[in-house]
Amino acid sequence: MRREDGAHQGERRFALMLTAPGMLALLLTTTFPLAYLVWSSFQTINLAMPFMDGFAGVQNYVEMWHDSRYWHAMGLTGIYTFSSVALQVVIGMGLALLVMQIPAGQWIFRIVAILPIVLAPVVVGLFWRTLMLAPNFGMVDFLVQWLGFEQINWLGAPTPALISVIAIHTWQWTPFAFLVFLASLASLPGDVYEAARIDRANALQRFWHITLPLLRPAIIIVIIMRVMISLSAFAAIFAATGGGPGTASEILNLYAFKTSFVELNFGYGSALAVSLLIITMAVSGVLFYLRTPRRREAGA
Amino acid sequence: MAQGRVHLKGIYKRFGNFIALKHIDLDIQPVEFFALLGPSGSGKTTTLRMIAGLDTPDEGVIEVDGEDVTFAPPADRDIAMVFQNYALYPHMTVRDNIAFPLKMDKMPKAEIEPAVVRAAERVDIAHLLHRRPGQLSGGQQQRCALARAIVRQPKLFLLDEPLSNLDAQLRLQTRVELKKLQRALNVTAIYVTHDQEEAMTLADRMAVFLEGDILQVGTPDEVFNRPASIAVAAFIGSPPMNLLPATLDGDRLTVSGHSMTLPRAPQHPGGEVTMGVRPSHVRIDPQGLPTRLYLSENLGESALLNLYLGDELVKMRVASFNAGAEGETVPIAFDIDTIHLFESGSGRRIPLAGE
Repeated sequence: MRREDGAHQGERRFALMLTAPGMLALLLTTTFPLAYLVWSSFQTINLAMPFMDGFAGVQNYVEMWHDSRYWHAMGLTGIYTFSSVALQVVIGMGLALLVMQIPAGQWIFRIVAILPIVLAPVVVGLFWRTLMLAPNFGMVDFLVQWLGFEQINWLGAPTPALISVIAIHTWQWTPFAFLVFLASLASLPGDVYEAARIDRANALQRFWHITLPLLRPAIIIVIIMRVMISLSAFAAIFAATGGGPGTASEILNLYAFKTSFVELNFGYGSALAVSLLIITMAVSGVLFYLRTPRRREAGA
Repeated sequence: MAQGRVHLKGIYKRFGNFIALKHIDLDIQPVEFFALLGPSGSGKTTTLRMIAGLDTPDEGVIEVDGEDVTFAPPADRDIAMVFQNYALYPHMTVRDNIAFPLKMDKMPKAEIEPAVVRAAERVDIAHLLHRRPGQLSGGQQQRCALARAIVRQPKLFLLDEPLSNLDAQLRLQTRVELKKLQRALNVTAIYVTHDQEEAMTLADRMAVFLEGDILQVGTPDEVFNRPASIAVAAFIGSPPMNLLPATLDGDRLTVSGHSMTLPRAPQHPGGEVTMGVRPSHVRIDPQGLPTRLYLSENLGESALLNLYLGDELVKMRVASFNAGAEGETVPIAFDIDTIHLFESGSGRRIPLAGE
């Protein structure tokens, strides 16, 4: 509704009335909890020590600043997000380019690609934990041993655990990137590629000078969506490793959850969540900003 | 010496059950402006794409300057092409579009810029180099595509209906410039069009395509004045010539009961034939054949009378529009020395003495 003149006032009010229930629901379910979260982050709310409760000011944030576990979680969040999104884009692009070469039956790949996406992340986490990565029984473990490598405790040792949760996330969400890229590739104009062939561009040059720039909007939208989700990933990791062993796969979201609902320190947990919120918004803001202006391609 | 001779030998191509080209032969001379003319689906674009290397024939050989390039990729053929929809690189500026073939050729950067400017100046778009294709009008995009094609000095210059997306006025203007450009570049140009006027005005020689066959190869003059068959006669000209059943006996031609003596003896034993006469070679003659006026069309500079001679429609061009009364009787005669004769069965032209 755009404000134009007085005559539309009544109409505007009516429109507002019509949208009010929806707005209210939205307010109650999103804005209010967010506001409450921010408010809690300035309080001391610790169910283990209820006598300490009260206004804490920036105390939680100061504590966070000196909390090495926080910085560790932050680092893991960065590694987890960057590597899983990079893998999704690169693998998704590669698969899309491959499938584009198939003259018929692309629909089979589209359907297969949907499957991991529609699974609940908890199911994915459990599925990998039990079927794929479990010592001795898991398929990956079996394969590794069958190939003659030493057995790796995929979820029980720190570095393999981190690699595992990144792999799980990549496995579930690469199909999303794949589907978006496949659809974008299919919509690229064929005669432009013919022109490029006549202009003597080889396959690699056509990819670099034509495909990548034309896919740029799709690549950026995939990166934005995946980074936002990746930063706040939770369920699959929780189901697969619970953030462990120790804190080896404890990204920020898991740390905030554990602080709030395991240690029952809601005030500090809220502060951790707020910091994740700020990071997510800042990163998305930067990415959205990058999306609009015309810049040179930075690569996938 | 002169480069750019294209020789097609027995080219056959099918797409599924559709036979696109039925063993066509074509010999295009260096520096010639050669038009491939035909309705859509006649195989002209397929022929061009094979010369470009974008498609390969199922049978036959394509030679360029005596070298077999039938299966050579486009990059090895030293060609440039202007596409019907221009096929500009949408994410690049006009400058980058024109420079692209040179960059792929690994030309030193310092030489690219002046070459780009030169090509852009040739087609009057030097002031648009910083724009993107999306910011250009159709005519400007077309020029950008032309500039990209001429920036390198290719052996062959291929054009696939380059004017068909322009509005009428721009098309006429660009047509003239295209011809000038081709002469200045001194390069073989192969031009696909469904517009016979374009083919007639631009081409040194042309091939008339129909249903995967070449019906006639010749200069516009030859094709227009001596169509090789009824099919060509029925295609060329706007409107095409009138084709009427007639009886031939020696040099006596009888149409609708009206006999005339041909000035030159036809090389034909006689019998049922088809007579062709252009609308501009029909005139009103009080002693002529009686026809019934069906409709009079005003074309501005001239008018077209649609007349019925018995059951046969005859079109006649007259100098000025005169609505006339529909149903009115108009006596007509044909300019006897401009008459074309075709065999009724095969449709082949019947040569007249001296042809």
